[in-house]
Amino acid sequence: MVETLVLKAQRRESKGTRASRRLRTQGQVPAILYGHKEEPVAVTLNYHDLALELQHHHRLLEVELEGKKQQLLLKDVQYDFLGDKIIHVDLARVSLDERVTVTVEVVLKGTPVGVTDGGLLDHILTEVEMECQVTTIPESIKANIANLKIGDSLTAGDLVLPRGADLVTDPSATIATVRIKGEAVEEEEPEEAAETAEPEVISREKTDEEDKS
Amino acid sequence: MALMPKRVKYRKYQRGRVKGNATRGNFVAFGEYGLQSLGTGKITGRQIEAGRVAATHYLHREGKVYIRIFPHRSVSSKPLETRMGKGKGEPDFWVASIKPGTVLYEIGGVPEEVAREALVRVAHKMPIKCRFVKRRHAG
Repeated sequence: MVETLVLKAQRRESKGTRASRRLRTQGQVPAILYGHKEEPVAVTLNYHDLALELQHHHRLLEVELEGKKQQLLLKDVQYDFLGDKIIHVDLARVSLDERVTVTVEVVLKGTPVGVTDGGLLDHILTEVEMECQVTTIPESIKANIANLKIGDSLTAGDLVLPRGADLVTDPSATIATVRIKGEAVEEEEPEEAAETAEPEVISREKTDEEDKS
Repeated sequence: MALMPKRVKYRKYQRGRVKGNATRGNFVAFGEYGLQSLGTGKITGRQIEAGRVAATHYLHREGKVYIRIFPHRSVSSKPLETRMGKGKGEPDFWVASIKPGTVLYEIGGVPEEVAREALVRVAHKMPIKCRFVKRRHAG
């Protein structure tokens, strides 16, 4: 198992936008712990420590709340409007022998034969859903695509998953495909006359009918 | 040819003001790399088309370019040498209202350096400040 930091959490009584904003200016991140049929607990975490954990793609976090350490699964992360700063996290209580459904990134390795022959690689599905044990969640799934020729596809079913993991995504879903260059649908060049054309007004038809009656 | 809606409920809009930050369409969803707006403003259908042409021209038809914005609002103008009054002018062009954080274009299927250069060229066609962003993966 990957070594993780112990995040120190503090229970938070003040809730709402303004209280959360105040916390964020103090270098804290509002978070919520839930699951296992226990009461949800609103807490705060240190921004720097949490960002470090996320940077290392850790899914299972060790959180110390009121002197008690617990393993929590990162369920959701909310970012600000630019996608830079973490503004809230959802953490779910899990036991270490539990199986969970997670989304994992698919990383393509190698240059396909089809690409060296002049084809183009399309990476269609960049993430797959899989069910595995909490302690064995991989950072990413690596797929070797060196053997793909022009017209060949790699499907979700072809991925080599870690031992004990089951694929939740449809196995026939295409992950990547190699196509002929220029095969993509070329957008039609509209006529110049269309430049001045005006869109149809939806309400106009109705009023015309009313006028007739 | 500039983008514009096919059917609309109303032909003319009041000018209004674009306020706040983007809460939707503010992350890379289709491609691997994107061009994110850092400012507020309105992008015309012609500017959107100019950006698309700049990107596809640089990419030599490799990869895929996604346009994430659409000009839904009309901007009206009065004819030249017309006296004031006599009602609102006719729709002249169509614009997309852009808030900070909106992802304008996305590119997939090409290496990062190529996508970056293509999106820099697109950014030059845009009336607002933009930046290059990457897709955020789960975990």
